[in-house]
Amino acid sequence: MKKTILFFALVAATGSIFAQKKTTTSGTISFDATTSKDALPKAENKTVIAAIDAKKGTIAFEAIVKNFAFSNPKMQEHFNGATWMDSEKFPTATFKGNITNLASVDFQKDGTYNAEVAGDLTIHGVTKPVKTTGKIIVAGKSISTNADFSIKLEDYGVNGPAIGAGKVATEPKISVSADLQ
Amino acid sequence: MVLGGGAIWYIFNLKFSDTTEVKADYTVKALDLIHEFEKNNSLSNIKYSEKIVVVNGMVSHVEAADTTVNIKMADSTSGSYIIFAFQQQHLAEAKSIKQGDQVSIKGSCSGGAYSEILETEFITFKRCALNK
Repeated sequence: MKKTILFFALVAATGSIFAQKKTTTSGTISFDATTSKDALPKAENKTVIAAIDAKKGTIAFEAIVKNFAFSNPKMQEHFNGATWMDSEKFPTATFKGNITNLASVDFQKDGTYNAEVAGDLTIHGVTKPVKTTGKIIVAGKSISTNADFSIKLEDYGVNGPAIGAGKVATEPKISVSADLQ
Repeated sequence: MVLGGGAIWYIFNLKFSDTTEVKADYTVKALDLIHEFEKNNSLSNIKYSEKIVVVNGMVSHVEAADTTVNIKMADSTSGSYIIFAFQQQHLAEAKSIKQGDQVSIKGSCSGGAYSEILETEFITFKRCALNK
């Protein structure tokens, strides 16, 4: 009898833990580094892994840098090259952080919540702390999230000649979105 | 001067070709490709990154991605997977694919990595189209 109770308690606990962590492998990160001199440096990656743990308030993203899709082949080559992202050497970009106002987000109740997020962003092999605000949309068992922010490329050791020439924005805009199940 | 301007104009207006019109460098089975990356990620990345690859296999998931869908082929044992993001002109094809379909997809392999979040290998493709 005790074993049966223990078994059901374990099953219930396991189910609860899984329910708290939502993931997707089709999150989207887009960046826009266009300037008045060049409209080409912008791209989108739609195969980003994302995860939210509703109980712990953790949030994470992982992206393969080479899967940013550009319209222009030469721009894509420059983006992945040694003077930009050097994606041979640094193949992934990651974010690991926390929702710092977790008490303001009710994952049990449908609605749109303003989330404050802080964590470590790793690009080009350099990890820096970032803070941003975004939206968390709770709809039944699904959670959607989106955020817009910008980064300074020089903070991540990205200093290619095109940046110096004003053809690439020094602080590109980054947009992140994910529908997590 | 005119030649220089022409070269710049040419570079600015370059576009990727429709993937269906590009000759494939490799044709592989989905599970074989996953196992190859699992066995040796570094060598596999050198071999397949930025190459046009035809992948044959069964669709394990059709996943919403922004306004479109991505197609996945997964190894049900390890959880490792290949994910295909379709080229703009082939987005409608992606939406026609169903879980369980046997398909042949051609795309540009962006390489693979080990996911610390999912604790599996994942291999990503861009500019994909159904291989007809």
